[in-house]
Amino acid sequence: MRLLALVFLLLLGAAAPASAPYAVVKPGVALRFPADHGAHPQFRTEWWYVTGWLKTAKGEDLGFQVTFFRTRPPIDTANPSAFAPRQILFAHAAISDPATGKLLHAQRIARQGFGLAEAATGDMKIVLDEWRMVRRADGRIATRVQGRSFALDLMLAPTQPVLLQGQAGYSRKGPSPAEASHYYSLPQLRVAGTLVRGGKREAVTGTAWMDREWSSKLLNPAAVGWDWLGLNLDDGGALTLFQVRNAKGGAVWAGGSLRRADGRMTVLGPGDVRFLPGRRWRSARTGATYPVAQVVRVTLDGKPRDIPVTPLFDDQELDSRRGGGPVYWEGAVRVPGGRGYLEMTGYQSALKM
Amino acid sequence: MAAEASAALPPLAARWLVLGEWRAHPARVIIGALAIAVGVALGFAVHLVNRTALDSFARAISTVNGAADLQVHGLTPAGFDEALYPKVARLPGVAGASPVVSLAARHSDAGTPEFNAGNGRQRITLLGLDGLRAASVTPSLIGMPINGPGRASGLDPDAIFLSRAALAATGKKPGDRLSLTAAGHSRSFTIAGVLAGAGEDQALAVIDIADAQWRFGQLGRLQRIDVRLAEGADAARVEQALAAILPHDAEIVTARSEAQRSDSLSRAYRVNLEMLAMVALLTGGFLVFSAQSLSVARRSGQFALLRVLGLRRRALVAQVVAEGAVLGLIGAGVGIALGYGLADLAVTLLGGDLGGGYFPEGTVHLRFPPLAALAFAALGVGVAVLSSLLPARAAARAQPAVALKASGDATDPRRQPRSWPGLALLAAGGLAALGPPLFGLPLLGYAAMALLLAGGVAAMPFLARMLLAPLLRAEWPPAIDLALKRLWGAPGAAAVALCGIVASTSLMVAMAVMVTSFRGSVDDWLVQILPSDIYLHVEGAEAGGLDMAAQARLAATPGVGSVHFVRQMPLRLSPELPAVILSGQPVNAADPGARMPLLGDPVPVPAGETAAYISEPMGWLYGLAPGDHVTLPLASGKQRVFVAGVWRDYARQFGAITLDTADFERLTGDASKTEAAIDVAPGASVSAVTDALRARLPDQLRSQTMFAQPRQMRAMALRIFDRSFAVTYALEAIAIIIGLIGVATTFSAQTLARAREFGMLRHIGVKRRQIMMMLATEGALLGLVGVIAGLGLGLMMAQVLIHVVNPQSFHWTMDTRLPWGLFAGLVAALVSAAAGTAVLAGRKALSADAVRAVRQDW
Amino acid sequence: MAKADPLLRQSAAPVLDVRGLTKAVPGGRVLFSGLDLAVAPGEVVAIMGESGVGKSTLLNLIAGLDSLDGGEIAIAGAGLAALDDDARTLLRRDRIGFVFQAFHILPHLTLCQNIALPLVLAGGARTPSLARAEAMLGKVGLGGRGGDYPAQLSGGELQRIAIARALVHGPALILADEPTGNLDPETAERILALLLAEVKASGAAAVIVTHSDRAAAVADRALVLGRSGLSERAPAGGG
Repeated sequence: MRLLALVFLLLLGAAAPASAPYAVVKPGVALRFPADHGAHPQFRTEWWYVTGWLKTAKGEDLGFQVTFFRTRPPIDTANPSAFAPRQILFAHAAISDPATGKLLHAQRIARQGFGLAEAATGDMKIVLDEWRMVRRADGRIATRVQGRSFALDLMLAPTQPVLLQGQAGYSRKGPSPAEASHYYSLPQLRVAGTLVRGGKREAVTGTAWMDREWSSKLLNPAAVGWDWLGLNLDDGGALTLFQVRNAKGGAVWAGGSLRRADGRMTVLGPGDVRFLPGRRWRSARTGATYPVAQVVRVTLDGKPRDIPVTPLFDDQELDSRRGGGPVYWEGAVRVPGGRGYLEMTGYQSALKM
Repeated sequence: MAAEASAALPPLAARWLVLGEWRAHPARVIIGALAIAVGVALGFAVHLVNRTALDSFARAISTVNGAADLQVHGLTPAGFDEALYPKVARLPGVAGASPVVSLAARHSDAGTPEFNAGNGRQRITLLGLDGLRAASVTPSLIGMPINGPGRASGLDPDAIFLSRAALAATGKKPGDRLSLTAAGHSRSFTIAGVLAGAGEDQALAVIDIADAQWRFGQLGRLQRIDVRLAEGADAARVEQALAAILPHDAEIVTARSEAQRSDSLSRAYRVNLEMLAMVALLTGGFLVFSAQSLSVARRSGQFALLRVLGLRRRALVAQVVAEGAVLGLIGAGVGIALGYGLADLAVTLLGGDLGGGYFPEGTVHLRFPPLAALAFAALGVGVAVLSSLLPARAAARAQPAVALKASGDATDPRRQPRSWPGLALLAAGGLAALGPPLFGLPLLGYAAMALLLAGGVAAMPFLARMLLAPLLRAEWPPAIDLALKRLWGAPGAAAVALCGIVASTSLMVAMAVMVTSFRGSVDDWLVQILPSDIYLHVEGAEAGGLDMAAQARLAATPGVGSVHFVRQMPLRLSPELPAVILSGQPVNAADPGARMPLLGDPVPVPAGETAAYISEPMGWLYGLAPGDHVTLPLASGKQRVFVAGVWRDYARQFGAITLDTADFERLTGDASKTEAAIDVAPGASVSAVTDALRARLPDQLRSQTMFAQPRQMRAMALRIFDRSFAVTYALEAIAIIIGLIGVATTFSAQTLARAREFGMLRHIGVKRRQIMMMLATEGALLGLVGVIAGLGLGLMMAQVLIHVVNPQSFHWTMDTRLPWGLFAGLVAALVSAAAGTAVLAGRKALSADAVRAVRQDW
Repeated sequence: MAKADPLLRQSAAPVLDVRGLTKAVPGGRVLFSGLDLAVAPGEVVAIMGESGVGKSTLLNLIAGLDSLDGGEIAIAGAGLAALDDDARTLLRRDRIGFVFQAFHILPHLTLCQNIALPLVLAGGARTPSLARAEAMLGKVGLGGRGGDYPAQLSGGELQRIAIARALVHGPALILADEPTGNLDPETAERILALLLAEVKASGAAAVIVTHSDRAAAVADRALVLGRSGLSERAPAGGG
């Protein structure tokens, strides 16, 4: 569940999709690889979403996030111009550094074409100016991003098989069956590469998580925001938890999954996941208040278990209002026996869809 | 004692003497200061307007360009292949590249266009942008959606964003529909918002690039790529790398080269106007000179006394010069204020280019530049000081003992005035006129005019004698005889009175002859280039006009005898110079001069070469002559053509090239046409044929097509001509008025100074009427001498304007024509003004008691 | 030279010392040659002679307004020949006072300003200069009229102003060229008396060029300038 993609859809004026017939997400469609690593241009939106923890040679812990989005605006496909915006690519990257106490981030956006911006089908190969995310023949994924204040050049090596979310990759997002996406994850990615900060290059290692999701309709009209949590457990397990909130703060939908180290898979439904607000942090920048230390009550095998979440630091808020974007919180978090990323949206103002 | 050491007059003494003199003759002071004020005001106003216009023009350019670091421009409106875009985007050092489709558009609600090239109100620059790229390269070109941020980014093919100027020009508001026509295509949009960053001046519309390519026939083409350099990138290195991948129909444009081009666009015109304004200041200088000369002559006794009482020579010079300086200071102060007001008025009434037609779009905001104001004020003071220096030195050279004894002017009629200084200056002026342009401007030409003027004035005493000598031999009634003898005997005094009149007359004559010659030549040229009955022009069709089918349909219109289709498109040959106009039209190879005003005979075209006929300015600007070759950067590649002839052209100051239609189509691959010359069949009605042609036009072109008949076009061209010279006429008139005021003050001063002489004449029995008669004769004679000298000098200066200044500034030549009517009027006006003033002043001088006048010492 | 003797009667250092003066007018006519004249402090010398004999030229030469062809002129011990124009001008300004036949009063200055002119030209400040001018105005009998303009004055009154101006800066030598030539006889006599009285009172020496026998009579010495140079005039009447 990725906020930026939605916002980005909005930005492109995709509010009138009537003219463009998009592919519909249906259950029972088997995912095939490596084809499904590649783009699905007939769907409205899609993302390659990497989050994770890095450790520098000096032993610092950092959070990082590298995301590529693809969206198909509702345009007249008859336009033969090479500039016709058939697909728009957008990429976003951020570093959570406790030493700076806030996020460093960078982004790129372009319409597909001219070899400057391409999301290939068949396998994972996304190019956006000098930014890249490419899956190699050996299965490792190379990604490179470059911002004003930092640059990342990372190799992500899978250590486990693909994790299909929901029903074999069909993931419900709301009460209506149409409010769903094709969704798989690559947890427990082993990370090695370099980070450049302030002109200084350093080697980094770490663990990451990749979400792959594509859809044409995601959100229920009652939704105002959501919380999403992806955790690499120290024992090799992978825990996904999310809820879609309504205006009263209640859940419109919730769900997730747990894949244990031995590969046993548990799919979590709306009744299995409850987000309980814990300590709150108020952003002086935006005035928004975030439950940065939530406790998630997960019912596993009939037994509720509380998972307290601790942020790497409080101010992992992103304010993109100046560029017409939203205000949200996305950052590295710890839980007992695991680490991962938490995304919280709709806390400054309701997301208007 | 400080006064002991310094050469200057002690301040108290200076104050007593200067203020005393001014209290006694306030009118003279006021007029002297006023002359300087008018000169400074004109110079400053013209400068201010020019500067303001240039500023707003530069602002307009940077508005359209959105302040990119670097740009790639197409050399023609057809642009270049879009394949260049990814290559540019990938160059090292390029942080962002934004592809742009740029078209000249008209909004369709503007009604049928007038046949008037200067009509910029309906014009809008239509930009097709990739908003996602432009956001980081040229953010000022990104529209603010009216529904607030978050809505519509410009990907919406129906959305158009307008600058405030475009909103004003179309009279629309956000949410309205707007129909635009460009490159022969029309399309309507919803105004989605405002280009908030685009300033107030430029009529600008932004749509999505894909739609711009598709809907306006620009598929695969770009007119521009805006480039943002990476932080710390070496601009020169990026330019170099860019140049290496550039196709032949594109060029690199930087803010620097753009500024240079906009400067060269109007530079000659601006310099000419400023020079003209300087002429007014110069005339003011002559006025100060004659006023100071008179004042010094009148005060010669006083100065002698001061010398006897112990005033040193230098102190005397310093006093007279200080008087001039104070006069100049007052004049300059008033002049700066006046100039600002004048500029404000001119901008309001005539527009930013003073009617020159160089800055067709945008509004002008006047600002006060303190440095320029200071410079012009200094110029005014400088002129006043210089004009006082000569009389001051004359005063200091006088023998005090002699001056104390003698009263009035102590001239000796036997002394011959020197002729060589004037002749030397005239000769120097002649030499300067032969010089080449400096910095692309006819600076030596202007120097020649200044030298001729100075020479003419310096030669006046000598000339006045020469002109009067034949009159002396005849028998005259006593009053006229007295007048003649006095003028002949005191040529120096006459020259002082004459210098203002000679200066202003000669300048006026020079300008008038030039303008008359120019206008006449333009008129002849118009007759020559407009031989057909009907002319058709598709407005804003640089990137596409009438296609083959439309041409065939038009040619088949009943009543049409023959049609000559013409395709015109701008073509940029040099990054520093504005584009030339490349036109394809039927050229009769056997007789190219048939439909072209050729200068000289055409050169035979070598076999296998393509004949091109260049306009006269083109030859000057690019150093081309018949027999040379010129390379044209066209879409089909670099094409070398042979210059077969040169034709006269007053319309396109920056050059034009004509190819035969067949050659044009072969080289450009463009068979569409933008204009046509139509001869109606015998017996057919011109208006009926025009209507029929209009009906046969393609729908989308009808609203942007204009029809005209040669008579209308000539009238319009001459109207534009007169409008662009309106300021010239005004400046001339002011110079003449200053000259007349000078004559009036000088005459009255000289006449009043002779009160004693009149008293004596009355004593010895000369009748009052006879004295008046004598004065009128003197005045008329002096006026006549001045006008004759001014005419002669003016004709010389006109030749410099016609044969040096104009070709060097605007790169065209003309045939001399003389405005006889104006000459006659000038002679009558100046002679009667001179005689009239003399009589008026004489009446005043004679009203004083004659007996007392004789006894009076001063 | 026999005639030289009476001219060098005074033994005190002369204010004006002319020796061997030679001057020719343009055209070659020699006005005088080897002319000598010495004037002692406080001495009033009248110079007479026919028109065109060079009386005014002699005054101009003494004032440094004309260049001499031979001989030497010294004023208060300073030889004019050695001085440039500026230095002569300063000498004139500080040591000499002038009275002209045609008055030469500046019409646009007040009477006081006219009188104060030599002081102001030497850089004098306004208030003391005007105060001295006012005092001089009183001495020439026009006290209280300092603010008037010359146009309101008669010829005699104008010449009084001229005398005041000539004396205001305490010059060592007064040069007067036909000071009464433009006045009616009655006024002339009064003006002459005033001039002499004031010159005597100031202790300055004076050279007066005049046609008036009366003027010659009241002078300490009366000399006649002729073709052959200066010669003493026999005292006329009881002077």
